[in-house]
Amino acid sequence: MDFNDSRELLWLVSGIYSFTFFLGLLKTFKLDLPQLRNLSFVLTIIGFAFHTHALYLRGLEVHGCPLGNTLERIQFILWSLILAFLIVRLLCRLDMLGTFCSGLASLGGALVLTLPDCDPNYWLTVNYTKLFSNPWIELHASVAIFSYGLFSLLSVVSVMYLIQRKALLSRKFDKLGSFLPPIQDLEIAAIRLLSIGILFLTFSILVGGIHWANQENFNLSGKLVVTLFLWIAYSVVFLLHYRQRLYGSKFAKTTIVLFFITFASLSLVSTRSQNTNKPLTPEENNPSNHQ
Amino acid sequence: MNSPSNQSLFVLGCSHRVADLSARELISLPPDSIDEFYDGLGKLTDLDEYLLLNTCNRTEIYGASKKNFSINSVLQYLSRFQNIEQEFLKRHSYQRSGCDVVSHLFEVTSGIDSQMVGETEILGQVKKAYDDACKRKISGKMLNRLFQKGFQAAKWARTNTGISKGQVNLGNVLCELARRIFGKVENCRLLVIGTGKVAEMSIEAFKSRGSQAITVTGRTFEWCPLSRNKPNELVEKFGGFALPFSQYKDSLHLFDVILSSTTSGLTMLGYHDVYNSMKKRPSKPLFLIDASVPRNIEESVSKIDNVFLYNMDDVSEIANKNLKSRMSEVERCKSILGQRAQKLWDQMIQPSIVS
Repeated sequence: MDFNDSRELLWLVSGIYSFTFFLGLLKTFKLDLPQLRNLSFVLTIIGFAFHTHALYLRGLEVHGCPLGNTLERIQFILWSLILAFLIVRLLCRLDMLGTFCSGLASLGGALVLTLPDCDPNYWLTVNYTKLFSNPWIELHASVAIFSYGLFSLLSVVSVMYLIQRKALLSRKFDKLGSFLPPIQDLEIAAIRLLSIGILFLTFSILVGGIHWANQENFNLSGKLVVTLFLWIAYSVVFLLHYRQRLYGSKFAKTTIVLFFITFASLSLVSTRSQNTNKPLTPEENNPSNHQ
Repeated sequence: MNSPSNQSLFVLGCSHRVADLSARELISLPPDSIDEFYDGLGKLTDLDEYLLLNTCNRTEIYGASKKNFSINSVLQYLSRFQNIEQEFLKRHSYQRSGCDVVSHLFEVTSGIDSQMVGETEILGQVKKAYDDACKRKISGKMLNRLFQKGFQAAKWARTNTGISKGQVNLGNVLCELARRIFGKVENCRLLVIGTGKVAEMSIEAFKSRGSQAITVTGRTFEWCPLSRNKPNELVEKFGGFALPFSQYKDSLHLFDVILSSTTSGLTMLGYHDVYNSMKKRPSKPLFLIDASVPRNIEESVSKIDNVFLYNMDDVSEIANKNLKSRMSEVERCKSILGQRAQKLWDQMIQPSIVS
């Protein structure tokens, strides 16, 4: 195990999160051992620390915020998801949310690690320049990805809402349902996450907007269109909920669909080339086209 | 358990296990006679420590003596005090001594000897009885140790086994369902239509969890609005408000939980009543409980978004499932508590403690 290799660390992180997830499931299904009561939370913190270190190492390699390929972007979103959970966990005890989050982080992380195409070594290319030549764009990208992390947490909360609702409608006291928070609390948590996510995304767009407004040759990229679309979509969902037009299960389902669109939109972000012999094109060299 | 050391600790008791309600009523001590009972008990020769546990389901006298004290003298005293025949008392009581007393107390405090397995009220009652004995200075080294260990055993059993998991009382099941929908039950506004036993049980359960906004309505309210009637009686008993029967349909949107428990056989809440009320509170869930047979709430209301409808079959099924789950834990719990009791008893009969 090389603790200086970001990929190996990410595998370790995925393993820790999956262990946390199974520990949470054991607890749910009454196989809880009192000695291991806080182990899930401790493991999440350890996993998060390794996750942070792995992204830091990758950041050193790429000389900037590691958002140059699909693996990095997804790992950054999952990191943001766990960070958001840890902040929420400080305010109230939500072990089940932690289980869901670690499950998603483990699955998403492992999946993206198994696909080599998701992680080209673009920083090893000839004439590689920093991923973000402009700090404002770097800020824009990292804040946008962090807001996606919040939207991931929102979708986790929405899934929990739908499970609890289904359990209540089926009129049975199933084990999973009895461990989940009340549906009214889940809806309140969802709307708060949505508000905070929109705030971060708005800030990200404003930062990017200021930079692009000063550029002479600005082209509206597909990614930017999707980001704006997501911002509008999430804002509309918020307004509809505020006006009591969209609530309950429909609200939860909408946020889950938007989360999948958010994830799918990552493919629109151009990924740096893996081929070390091939010089980068001028378009690839232009950082503003990447985010 | 016939060694001399076993004679140092005993219990004479009567509970639902050996006596039916009418027998328990005869044996149970009225609260105002407890002082007198303790006075007489203290006069029994060679009885060093004693404690009375007197609840609606259980009358038990725990005692400890350094000499060869006979439990029969307590039995005779109780029969004299309550004016019941000794044979009758023998038939409807049990006697334990030595380690069996420790096991018995552990089972009592942990709730596995209760009529409603795993109930927690008994622990409070035992604590109260122990506090009372401490204040009277009639509990000594032996009983102090026994009861303090009994409280620890109860905590262990509730934490480490499933004997207290899940609600088994109908009112508590409804509160648990309300908690899963709204979070804090104390913030729920409850409307009760009808004044049956289930209604009373539910009001009691909601009230005990701090719910303040309880409203009761019923048909008898209309029949005699100026005299005492059932809704007012319930309101007086538990606190809350009485709502005229003719107004409840217009106020549905003000409530989070609505329980219907009437024998009218009429539809108290139809699809359109609930649909119209939900228009005024679309994003807030509504929990409906139909505790009536025949049913008072149209089944179709469950199709409305954010409405959760339960009938008595659903609630009973949940309660029975929880009870079954608790029962499956009883043997495991008994076995572990037995081991703990033996360990404690071995320590208690050490010469330094007994003599």
